Amino acid sequence: MAEFGAQFLEWSIDIAYVAIMLSFALTVFRLLRGPTLADRVVALDMMALLGIAFIGLFSIATGEAAYLDVAIALALIGFLATVAFARYIYRGALAERRGTDISDAGDDS
Amino acid sequence: MNLLLVNIVLALVWGAVTASFAPGNLLFGFVLGFLCLWLVRDRFNPRNFHRPGRALGLAGLFLLELCLSAGRVARDTLRPKMTFRPAIIAFPLEVQKEGEIMLLANLISLTPGTLSVDVSTDRSTLYIHAMDVDDPDALRQEIRDGFERRILDVME
Amino acid sequence: MIDFISALIVLIGAAFTLIAGIGLFRLPDVYLRMHAATKAGTLGAGLMLLALALDAQQLEVAARAIAGILFLLFTAPIAAHLLGRAGYLSGSPLWTKTRFDELSDKYDADGRKLTGTPVEDLRRDATKPDDRAT
Repeated sequence: MAEFGAQFLEWSIDIAYVAIMLSFALTVFRLLRGPTLADRVVALDMMALLGIAFIGLFSIATGEAAYLDVAIALALIGFLATVAFARYIYRGALAERRGTDISDAGDDS
Repeated sequence: MNLLLVNIVLALVWGAVTASFAPGNLLFGFVLGFLCLWLVRDRFNPRNFHRPGRALGLAGLFLLELCLSAGRVARDTLRPKMTFRPAIIAFPLEVQKEGEIMLLANLISLTPGTLSVDVSTDRSTLYIHAMDVDDPDALRQEIRDGFERRILDVME
Repeated sequence: MIDFISALIVLIGAAFTLIAGIGLFRLPDVYLRMHAATKAGTLGAGLMLLALALDAQQLEVAARAIAGILFLLFTAPIAAHLLGRAGYLSGSPLWTKTRFDELSDKYDADGRKLTGTPVEDLRRDATKPDDRAT
């Protein structure tokens, strides 16, 4: 029974690797294609999540728990990057509406 | 006096007294503190003692909605013909404090088929992008009864 | 036994990340893609971390993994909301088959103030004028 469990785990890890790689490929398609900048930022956020999933998987596969810290750091940085991009797009949109340059978009929420 | 803070302080005191700040021990200290405060409950507003239960219920709701929403997204994405009809709808808010609005917006974003887009400047309306809406009023009713009520119960 | 459960969770998590990727590929609109990425993607990554927490069977690893999952759960919706708002203001087009848009003229010229919709003005019925033929 324990034999079967370990075997099943090996097998599902392999399948998960393939799934994550496929998802990466599809996300890169959106990154290149996505008509607006917001599409590309969504793709980047997705890539950060895929990175976290991959690192989690790798950590299970190798049995090294140290990689978990990398996953957490990636989650933090991915979130910050998405928020930074969103603010950039937001300020750009405000500036365009006002007809000014993005550098004097003033205070925003 | 803010009971939650008192409870946390009691948990920390327990950790200091037993010389171990392991998470399990701190949790035990929190439970002990809760029991002690419950013993002197006539001095405080009785509603406060139901809050941890309700907060846990809210957290459980969060998780449940996330799983349901992922399932819904799965179903809609994999269907060959895209039969859903999205819309951006306005939701009149009853919660007024910033923290509550944030919780509600987050909960809505985790719910199957809805994503919060923006809040009006006077905090009267939350605009939501819904993936598949047949009856906007039914959706508003669902959010109002399901989430807003629970958030108000926990925070007020 | 634990191996078996971890393996199941890994499979489900992988399925959700794949669904998120397919969603990003297929869905015709920024906001719909955000639905896919935030919900399915976050759940997929969260499940992988959960499987890690189960598989390692040490309290410190499990605690960090759960902290990571909670962080993802709280921050992903915030990021999606900010991105949705920014995308809307910068003019990302809604899918042509969208029913209606109650947000369309509520921003003032500067884009900063957003007026609310009083209760009488809420859209109650979902049909678009040119829907009736279908």
